[in-house]
Amino acid sequence: MGILDRLRSLGKSQVESKEKKVVLLGLDGTPYTLLKQFCADGTMPNLAKIVASSSLKQMDVSIPEVSSTSWTCFYTGMNPAQHGIFGFLDLQPNSYKIYFPNSKSVKVPALWDILGNYGKRSVVINVPETYPAKPLNGSLISGFVATDLKKATYPPELLPTLTELKYRLDPDAQKARESKDVFLEDIYDVFEKRRKTILHLFDQEKWSLFIGTITETDRLHHFMWDALVDKNHPYHNGFVDFYRRVDGLIGEVYDRLDSNTTFMMCSDHGFTSIEQQVYLNFWLKDNGYLKFTSDQPKSVEEIAPGSRAFALDPTRIYINLKGKYPQGTVEPGAEYEKLRAEIADGLRAITYQGKPVIKKVFMKEDVFRGPLMEQSPDLIVLSNYGFDMKGSTNKQVLMDREIFTGMHTQDDAHFLINRKDILDKKPHICDIAPTIMKELGVAIPSDVSGTALI
Amino acid sequence: MSQKGFTLWFTGLSGAGKTTLAHIVEAEMRKHNLRVEILDGDVVRTNLSKGLGFSKEDRDTNIRRIGFVCHLLSRNGVAAISAAISPYREIRDEVRKTIGDFVEVYVHCPLEVCAQRDVKGLYAKAMAGEIPSFTGVSDPYEEPLNPEVVVDSSKETPEVSAKKILKKLEELGYLPKTEEVYSEEEEEEVKRRLEELGYF
Ligand SMILES: Nc1ncnc2c1ncn2[C@@H]1O[C@H](COP(=O)(O)OP(=O)(O)O)[C@@H](O)[C@H]1O
Ligand SMILES: [Mg+2]
Repeated sequence: MGILDRLRSLGKSQVESKEKKVVLLGLDGTPYTLLKQFCADGTMPNLAKIVASSSLKQMDVSIPEVSSTSWTCFYTGMNPAQHGIFGFLDLQPNSYKIYFPNSKSVKVPALWDILGNYGKRSVVINVPETYPAKPLNGSLISGFVATDLKKATYPPELLPTLTELKYRLDPDAQKARESKDVFLEDIYDVFEKRRKTILHLFDQEKWSLFIGTITETDRLHHFMWDALVDKNHPYHNGFVDFYRRVDGLIGEVYDRLDSNTTFMMCSDHGFTSIEQQVYLNFWLKDNGYLKFTSDQPKSVEEIAPGSRAFALDPTRIYINLKGKYPQGTVEPGAEYEKLRAEIADGLRAITYQGKPVIKKVFMKEDVFRGPLMEQSPDLIVLSNYGFDMKGSTNKQVLMDREIFTGMHTQDDAHFLINRKDILDKKPHICDIAPTIMKELGVAIPSDVSGTALI
Repeated sequence: MSQKGFTLWFTGLSGAGKTTLAHIVEAEMRKHNLRVEILDGDVVRTNLSKGLGFSKEDRDTNIRRIGFVCHLLSRNGVAAISAAISPYREIRDEVRKTIGDFVEVYVHCPLEVCAQRDVKGLYAKAMAGEIPSFTGVSDPYEEPLNPEVVVDSSKETPEVSAKKILKKLEELGYLPKTEEVYSEEEEEEVKRRLEELGYF
């Protein structure tokens, strides 16, 4: 850039610094209750200071409470029957064939698309379910499940910078199975590179909306939640230290803000300890609703004729409807309704050591609203804390434990905004996009599911 | 990429699925940021062709008008979609000749199935003799001889039919080819990473 250009862009940014801007830091899987705890016990002093003049709220997310669905709710303000992301995997129309929904499967515009229509630039870093990176007015680095940095980067000119910063898409979760030391080291490494990239783009790019998301938190929680809970755990400090670093980043970002910039934080779900993993497909099989063509089916693709229902990860139950699936057996109408009610009753009765496993069974019309009702799961389950629902098809038991120690929660995500005057209600993740639009003075589409909190 | 205009012309009996498919295809095209306009027979008859009846002459006039507007739109880079019965082969071919960039979709569906669906309650009336010239019942329908796409809405779901149409449009270069997001190796990698976190 020549000196004239530089002067010109300096002048421009000064003029535009009067314009409203929003910064949002995302912390994948970080519970509200954990942030409260870390503010109180001195682990996160920067955040504690910010919270004093902000609203930090416990937030609900839509179900299923997985990152792909939740973050899409976050960046569209819409529910899954509008945006089309019901989980990390889904079935192709009219078949039992699995596919992996991605940014191109999202049926509605993203927050940054809408801002782009108003000439506003966005920088979006590591938000899950944005891979492959689609063109936008701004820059975007895709989050989980991005596999190829080139396809995860827009515009392509950004790629050399990322290579220079040694940016990494994701830690290698495989390492958690090898050694917790190696895994922690990997998480710290990815975080450090992400932090540098966030600060670099924050300083170098022009934007109205800046979103930086940390997903290492979620990985840490999945494999090492036990280390948080148990103060004598050999990795307790390793876990807590990670949050000290996160707090460092929060401070570094907050210190950079000018008075026109609103600061927000959020997560896509909370976390709690796992007591048992629970396998819905085993339950369906065991109760005569589901049969597979082999003993160790790899997926629902191996469903056998005569099956009446099946589950997809983590809590989605589908009725094997005639006309909708190649081997559909259930008639729409009365038979469908009767079966749904019967399955719901059966699920509610599952217990573990006398405790009910399932908190609530929803019919799809209770939780979803939009043009994609037909492809929505027919029933959807919300479990009690401790019971991690899974869609595995090859399990021969209803419950067991694996390597994981933490599981997602639906009602304990967090939302923070650095102003006190916000709506007096429990926020929902769909509220964030309209809140940002309102803050930036952009018209909110009439069909968003959420409402602006300001 | 600058958009190449064309006309997507649905033809088929009432209740065969023209309107349904037109809207699915429209939504898909919009995802590619294409400009699209639907001319639906039922809508056109309330404005552009208001007052026209169902004689052969009036039907031809109606179709020529729709064809005329499709032509204007197409040559200005819009994807024009016509969803009208358009029962006469000769007029459809005439419109095809004028427009050039013309993709004909025959929405096949046996009369009995259309009558059973009776989306608008017209078949009941037609069969009771209350509607004098009703296509398929008391008025002719001429199937296209060489349509670019044939779908059978009595055997396929709307999504499957729409896919066929979209695929043809891709082949003909009116829609950008949908590249697979994940290569086979990448898909394995995605599976592996989901598996590691217990999602698969
Ligand atoms: N493959 C298919 N394509 C289009 N419509 C279908 C298909 N299968 C079933 N249908 C149903 O048939 C009906 C077609 O109605 P409509 O689209 O209004 O017909 P038309 O516009 O041709 O009069 C709808 O209820 C639709 O859901
Ligand atoms: Mg119609």
